[in-house]
Amino acid sequence: MDAHIRKVYVPMTETGFYILLCFRKESHGYHIIRKVETLTEGEIRISPGTMYGTLCKMEKDGLIHFVREEEKRKIYCITDLGKEILALEMKRIERLYRNMMEVRQNEREEN
Amino acid sequence: MKEKKIESRIFTIADWEKEEKYLQKRHREGWKFVKVSIPGFYHFVKCKPEDVVYQLDYNEDGLRYKEAYVQMFRDCGWEYIQDFGGYSYFRKPVSHMQGKEQIFCDDQSRLDMMRRVFAGRYLPIFIILVLLILPNLIGQLRSPDADAPILLVLFLIILVIYVWVTVSFGYRYWKLKARLRK
Repeated sequence: MDAHIRKVYVPMTETGFYILLCFRKESHGYHIIRKVETLTEGEIRISPGTMYGTLCKMEKDGLIHFVREEEKRKIYCITDLGKEILALEMKRIERLYRNMMEVRQNEREEN
Repeated sequence: MKEKKIESRIFTIADWEKEEKYLQKRHREGWKFVKVSIPGFYHFVKCKPEDVVYQLDYNEDGLRYKEAYVQMFRDCGWEYIQDFGGYSYFRKPVSHMQGKEQIFCDDQSRLDMMRRVFAGRYLPIFIILVLLILPNLIGQLRSPDADAPILLVLFLIILVIYVWVTVSFGYRYWKLKARLRK
């Protein structure tokens, strides 16, 4: 993985992470917007300009690849490079979560 | 009573937010935006006053694959109006929104759009300016021609406008970037 890709995508924006996470299955942009809305209980609603811009960028950088077009909607899927970046991000977020829980636990024991 | 009108307004390349607010204001006053045909000339038709959010996107890839691009916005409830000068115009009534909605939902994608405008619109004009106007300016300075001062002033005005646009563009970019770093 080259340094530029690493710099741009690690760490990733929250929307970027959800988008890549959803592309482990073949999907189109609007479908992912709906899916992320459900996953986050309406908290994150990705706007079309953000979605389209992210799709272009991720395709250009080789994180996802175009599969086919269905009813004017472009379907993409994650690439090996995309999976590599997603794995790095998952590890980072797991560590973040673990550390948060640990700090909270320690605080509880001190009190 | 007039049913149509044309207004002339000048917005520089970096002023799309002002343009969005201007179109929203007119719609609230009962004038629905129809199109912009010549730079600076806005066509409106009379309508029921309504709060409608107007948004401009700049995406060359979107223009190339227009069907899929427009479909994405349509799926999200945004009406596509037209393309002009590389910009695409969209609108959505506030009454159809869940809370406040824009076509970008994070600062990173707003910054990305600024970068696209910069590379696609701004840089080419800058290169033309440097290649065409500056040699001319120097030529005029040396010219013994009586008209030379008039042309010189004209070139200087263009240059000043351009420098001003550059500074305001740079300032907005920097501000957005500073907000992202926080």
